[in-house]
Amino acid sequence: MIIDDFLWRAGLGAGLLAAACGPIGCFILWRRMAYVGESVAHMGLLGAALGLLIGVNALVGTTALAIAAALIMARAADRTIPAGTFVGIIGHMGLALGFIVLSLMETVRTDLLGYLFGDVLALSNSDLIAITAVGIAVLGATALIWKPLLRSAAGGPIAAAEGRASSLAQTGFLILTAVLVAFGLKVVGALLIVALLIIPPAAARPLAKTPEAMALWAAILGAVSAPLGLAASLTFDAPAGPCIVLAAGGLFALSMAYSVIAKR
Amino acid sequence: MTEPLIAARHLTFAAGRLTILNDVSLAIHPREIVTLIGPNGSGKTTLLKALLGLVRVKGEISRRPGLKVGYVPQQFTPDPSLPMTANRFLDLFAERNAGRAALARVGITEAGDRQLSALSGGEIARVLLARAVAGKPDLLVLDEPLAGVDVSGEAALYHLIAELRDELGCGILLVSHDLHVVMSKADHVICLNHHICCEGEAHDVARDPAFVALFGTRGELALYPHHHDHAHTLGGEPLA
Repeated sequence: MIIDDFLWRAGLGAGLLAAACGPIGCFILWRRMAYVGESVAHMGLLGAALGLLIGVNALVGTTALAIAAALIMARAADRTIPAGTFVGIIGHMGLALGFIVLSLMETVRTDLLGYLFGDVLALSNSDLIAITAVGIAVLGATALIWKPLLRSAAGGPIAAAEGRASSLAQTGFLILTAVLVAFGLKVVGALLIVALLIIPPAAARPLAKTPEAMALWAAILGAVSAPLGLAASLTFDAPAGPCIVLAAGGLFALSMAYSVIAKR
Repeated sequence: MTEPLIAARHLTFAAGRLTILNDVSLAIHPREIVTLIGPNGSGKTTLLKALLGLVRVKGEISRRPGLKVGYVPQQFTPDPSLPMTANRFLDLFAERNAGRAALARVGITEAGDRQLSALSGGEIARVLLARAVAGKPDLLVLDEPLAGVDVSGEAALYHLIAELRDELGCGILLVSHDLHVVMSKADHVICLNHHICCEGEAHDVARDPAFVALFGTRGELALYPHHHDHAHTLGGEPLA
């Protein structure tokens, strides 16, 4: 069987990105911050639209706006509106505005679905190189700030109360999340990128007894979802991004079934 | 008297029109156990946050230079999605041997290899206490450490806290929302309801027979008889 170049690129790119999402996604799970990832992704769409509008690369716009959104949202605290709601408001404003800006540009109207659900089969060689570089950089940076991040995920209010909270690690975590979201926009789209951040770690949970094992399993399961999803996409002639997410969901179901059986 | 570990003078804090703290002063000295009691919404948490430097309030707070704080949060457990043993949890914050020793000291060595998500409320309380004392703090701050601990466990845990004070030589600030249950070993009891309603030495704490029946004859717990000389409005303002 001959595998076309674009399939290689799609499989490698999506697999690498999903693998890099695994460890960061674990922290999103442990700290219950899925909603932040979601809103950052929505802002990412606005970033892509603005990037196209002013003529810079869509990826540059996405990355810049996603990072800005993540940092602003992290500091957003109001007494009367819950943080999650506030973050949701900002994110959805971004999604709505991004959609409007994209619709106003006649030339990119056909790409709209691609921004929402990804266009992984259209990855170019330079896209693949960029994703590879970003994936490796994110994994390396995650390893670097692992201990302070883990301390704050496990210790909740303790580190701040004892005067040893690491704001550098916090900021780093948000920037890494934003970068993954921005690069994931091309792969599975603004509406599904959070799935790659939370499903593989959730599937990894029953298989792990240490945080490191969970991060490793999350990376592996994410990476495996990509070729599985692409194979399904090819077989059923279905869109690739959603198929990758469904494949991750399938692995999650298997892992849950395993944990139920193992407990008996 | 020795220099206090931490001293707060005339702390005042308002959220909008609501006065949360009104001219609160207190000091904690080495080897002293200060118990802060007050009903829900009396400003205990705000006062605690102010002392820990997490909230800015009006007034003056002076800490002894280099003060090392050990903090035991209120009914806290890491998210169950985090796979982690109690030993690993301690290792994140303290040196390996210190963590193991602290776990043994609070009497739950056998829980070290178990997952945090599998521990009971009482075991979690002890793990959090072990974590705080493993770093040999100068000041141990316990925010309602007995939430989630059953009645028979409470007395044992109070006893343990008093022993740890003797061993570490640290000062202790203990916060409780329970207006009636106060450790008889507390050196100083402060009753807070936005302002300090009353405070006193706990040497004279009465030994209530009903309590002795409940908690045994150790007398670690006793009723602290204090009579309020004033009432409060719903807004917390003292009535003349």
